[in-house]
Amino acid sequence: MLLLSLALKNILRSRFRTWVTILAMAFAGAIMIFYASLLEGWMQAMETNAVSMEMGEVQLHVPGYRDDPELYDVILDPGAALARAESAGFAGSARLLGSGLAAAQENSTGVAIRGIEPEAEARVVRLHRHVKAGSWLVPGERNGVVLGQQLAVILDVGPGDELVLVGQAADGSMANDLFVVQGILKSVGQGIDRAGLFMPADDFRAFFALAEGAHEIVLQRFDPDLPLDDAVNVLAGLFPGLEVKSWRQLQPTLARLLDLSDVSLAIMLLITYAAVGMLTMNAMLMGVFERIPVFGVMKAIGFSGVRLFGLVVCETLLQITLAALLALGAGLPLSAYFARRPLDFSFLLRESSTIAGVAFEPQWYCRVTPGSVLLPIFFLYAVGLVSICYPALKAALLSPVRAVHHQ
Amino acid sequence: MRLNTMAWRTLSRNRRRTLITSLSVAFGIFLAVTFTGSGDYSYTSMINTSTVMGLGHVSVAEEGNNARPSLARWLRDADSLRIATSGLPEVSGAYPRIMGQAMFAAGAKSAGGMFMGIDPALETPQHNFFLRSVVDGALFAEAAGRGALIGAEMAEKLNLRPGRKMVITVTDKDGELTSELLRISGVFQTGDHAADSGIVLVPLDRLRQTLGYGPGGVTLLAVYTDDLRRVKKIQADLTEKLSPTGRLEVLTWRETQADLAGLIAVDRLFNNLLQLLVGLVIAAGIMNTMLMSVLERNREFGIMLAVGMSPAQVARLVLVESFWLGCLGLALGIMLTAPWFYYMSRTGIDLSALVGEDYSAGGVLVDPVLKLRLFRESALAILGTVFVLTLAAGVYPAIRAGRVPPARSIKEV
Amino acid sequence: MKFKGKRGCRIFLGIFLLLSVVSDSSAATAEGDAERAREILTRIDDLWRSTSSTATLEMVVRTEHYTRTMIMESWTKGREKSLVRIVSPLKEKGTVSLKNDDTLYTYLPKTDRVIRLTTGMMMGSWMGSHFTNDDLVKESRLAEDYDPKITFSGVRDGREIIEFALQPKPEAPVVWGKIVIVVRAGDLLPVVSRYYDEEMNLARTLDFRDIREMGGRLLPAVLRMVPADKPGEFTEMTYQAIDFGPELPDSLFSLMQLRRM
Repeated sequence: MLLLSLALKNILRSRFRTWVTILAMAFAGAIMIFYASLLEGWMQAMETNAVSMEMGEVQLHVPGYRDDPELYDVILDPGAALARAESAGFAGSARLLGSGLAAAQENSTGVAIRGIEPEAEARVVRLHRHVKAGSWLVPGERNGVVLGQQLAVILDVGPGDELVLVGQAADGSMANDLFVVQGILKSVGQGIDRAGLFMPADDFRAFFALAEGAHEIVLQRFDPDLPLDDAVNVLAGLFPGLEVKSWRQLQPTLARLLDLSDVSLAIMLLITYAAVGMLTMNAMLMGVFERIPVFGVMKAIGFSGVRLFGLVVCETLLQITLAALLALGAGLPLSAYFARRPLDFSFLLRESSTIAGVAFEPQWYCRVTPGSVLLPIFFLYAVGLVSICYPALKAALLSPVRAVHHQ
Repeated sequence: MRLNTMAWRTLSRNRRRTLITSLSVAFGIFLAVTFTGSGDYSYTSMINTSTVMGLGHVSVAEEGNNARPSLARWLRDADSLRIATSGLPEVSGAYPRIMGQAMFAAGAKSAGGMFMGIDPALETPQHNFFLRSVVDGALFAEAAGRGALIGAEMAEKLNLRPGRKMVITVTDKDGELTSELLRISGVFQTGDHAADSGIVLVPLDRLRQTLGYGPGGVTLLAVYTDDLRRVKKIQADLTEKLSPTGRLEVLTWRETQADLAGLIAVDRLFNNLLQLLVGLVIAAGIMNTMLMSVLERNREFGIMLAVGMSPAQVARLVLVESFWLGCLGLALGIMLTAPWFYYMSRTGIDLSALVGEDYSAGGVLVDPVLKLRLFRESALAILGTVFVLTLAAGVYPAIRAGRVPPARSIKEV
Repeated sequence: MKFKGKRGCRIFLGIFLLLSVVSDSSAATAEGDAERAREILTRIDDLWRSTSSTATLEMVVRTEHYTRTMIMESWTKGREKSLVRIVSPLKEKGTVSLKNDDTLYTYLPKTDRVIRLTTGMMMGSWMGSHFTNDDLVKESRLAEDYDPKITFSGVRDGREIIEFALQPKPEAPVVWGKIVIVVRAGDLLPVVSRYYDEEMNLARTLDFRDIREMGGRLLPAVLRMVPADKPGEFTEMTYQAIDFGPELPDSLFSLMQLRRM
């Protein structure tokens, strides 16, 4: 207690220099809170684009379907499978996948046709909220299709335009029908952007003359805390005849990239705080040298080296705490503000770009999480305490006689 | 001169403090070099990787080709365009190429993909990624021949290897379907799935016949430079030089690969902001040190002022001190950074275990080996920033020093 | 080498895969054995010569997943033009496939659209059969693309036959490594043709069966295509009626006509 009050006194007495140190720490801390929140937000956007947008957390297929997709390789009775998954704790949606040719006025191109139940789909992924123009598929309505962003450009169509689809139906006949473009998606990822075409499952069945089954079942955990690997194991036990894969297994590059985000944040923190640490060390060193006579006297009147060490550490801790409070005071509102309104980089990034095949948009949102706030603060303390060691030791190891005669 | 001597004396009087402060400057330089250097290296490498996939740093094509590529849009006289570019000193290579969509078939198997018609006599591995990545056989030798260099994944799908034949089906300049026989001369493997499964290199003159182009017909002229920073100038020069030739578009990689350009711009912005942040913290440290040293020397300054030095001179003395502190930091920084930079620019750190071999950004394969490279502009920018920040950090302490009232100062301490 | 030989008759598809080769091989000069091959092929050519035809045929496609039967009408003129219209089943009635030179169009009555086939669709199935669109476009060029040679002549399986091997010309844009054609020695009617890939693995077999008189000529009425890698699957075409030499205007093979049909 004595140490603390002494330390507090010293700080309150302190000058401009101490405030510069505190402010520098606070500034770095605030920026790092903001940076960590932004990184968190960006990573979440990436994961969302990759997972919650279309891929879902876990996918079921007939073994071999992913390597060589065939219209006939269906999961039989997807309704029963979905019910079983639901009782095991997973929301699900069954999809039909096929390929064909889309032709508009002048242009035609190959498309990946996806038949979905709009209601079920909305429970597992968020594609329906990602429409750039027009609207998403409406349950019950027929013959509307929603296109990927690039595909709309290739075909040169917009909402309301007609589109002819041609393909080979399950009975061998030439499937063809007229559809109306109902909506165009924002960028989601290379595959959907260039070739994705969504239609209601009933339309898909009619078009491809496929009475039953589904090609893909996408599942989402009810309990987000259930580890993904466990979820895969549970489902693999539930569906022994099907291939069960988590999004991490389906998109290993992206999974690795997201895993790396913590590492990259830690590196950023270390680098920035290394500069802060040097500043702190220098300031405290000066503070110690300035007070060598004082410390000398203290030692002479019976203050042990350990306690002197403690005093210097206490002073630093107080400074860091003050800086941390300031950092929180500035960093939190800043991050919170940009969690609502995005940082807009559209002046640099006109449409959207891709990383590891996953789209990311020019609008970035912050996401304030315990980690994004506490990690920068924790690092601030850690670096501060490391950098104080040398000055504190210096103070502790002073020889009282020489110290008193210092200068 | 006298100020310099005095400044040095002060700095050497408090060696530890001087050392720590200049070390923090050195650390800043180390960081700046590492960050700017990895940016300079990886952006350059990404841009080059993407441009050597076909489009070049600057591409000349018929107007509208970038927005809507079509084999019906073609340039009639590639050779004169090529000659026109060779007059520019910044250009290190210009290649007539034809790029478009095609169907490739062998036996009962087929695959869709992209072809790139090239003249084997002109192309160099430096400006053609696929030539560097040949894993079996070789590039075809004749521009009028029937050779083909095919991606490894497509070769596997179509069950092809050097010596085997393949039929390419394309839509010619008039929109008619036409087919041509090719014989595999070699197989390339870049590691990029899209390229390895979807690109075939074809002899230029053969393709010209197939498509019904004249002897000089191409869809684009891919222009390369050794110095990425010159693309704007090349674009301007070429536009001026070629504008009488007809309805052309001369575009830089920023326009033809907007995806990548945007990604790099955002990354560079963040990189610079981070460096600025670190710089500010370091500057605060220097300011602290200077201020400390100024306050300590109130008495000294008082005497100086009393013996007739003007406040401006005193202030200048402090600025000179911070200048030398900056210089010292710079020297230390160079000593500290040089071996690191040397190692990193040659060997680098292999991150493939972390990110994998197939990591791509903006549609471009990213080199998993982290290396450094520093453009002269970047080095100068770092140098400039270091000096500006050290001097700026000295301004407030200098003003404080100049304001010390002479008489009071002496009485004080 | 440009094709200048006599025009072979144009019936439809399968026959053409054989005949267009055979008929034009006379244009390819060769020595010795090849000389004899040419002579025989010229005779076959004479046998089949006609510049136009109309026909009704039934096509059965059997795959692992479905079996379907279609009735189609066809019109051909010269080597470059053919038009096929589906009569039944009802679902696809009125669907037309038009080939004019090297371009293939499909008219879809349900959507009232004409689609021109692009490069990407060439290896796709023609009307759900085991023929590809590419087969249709390429068949008229087979003659330019192969050199014939007699590889066997005599009795095999109790039949007097002649076997030709068609080797692709070194620069011909064809996907096959070799085509082997067997004809009856007596009347030179085709028996079978086999398609090999470049490693000389059999890729598919086209059988000619049920020789009978149609349109005043003796012809195999049934053509059956069997892909080698899918045992049990086939596409079988049976000519129900054929008429050689009717007057057919060029305008029949136009896009305008497609919509009118």
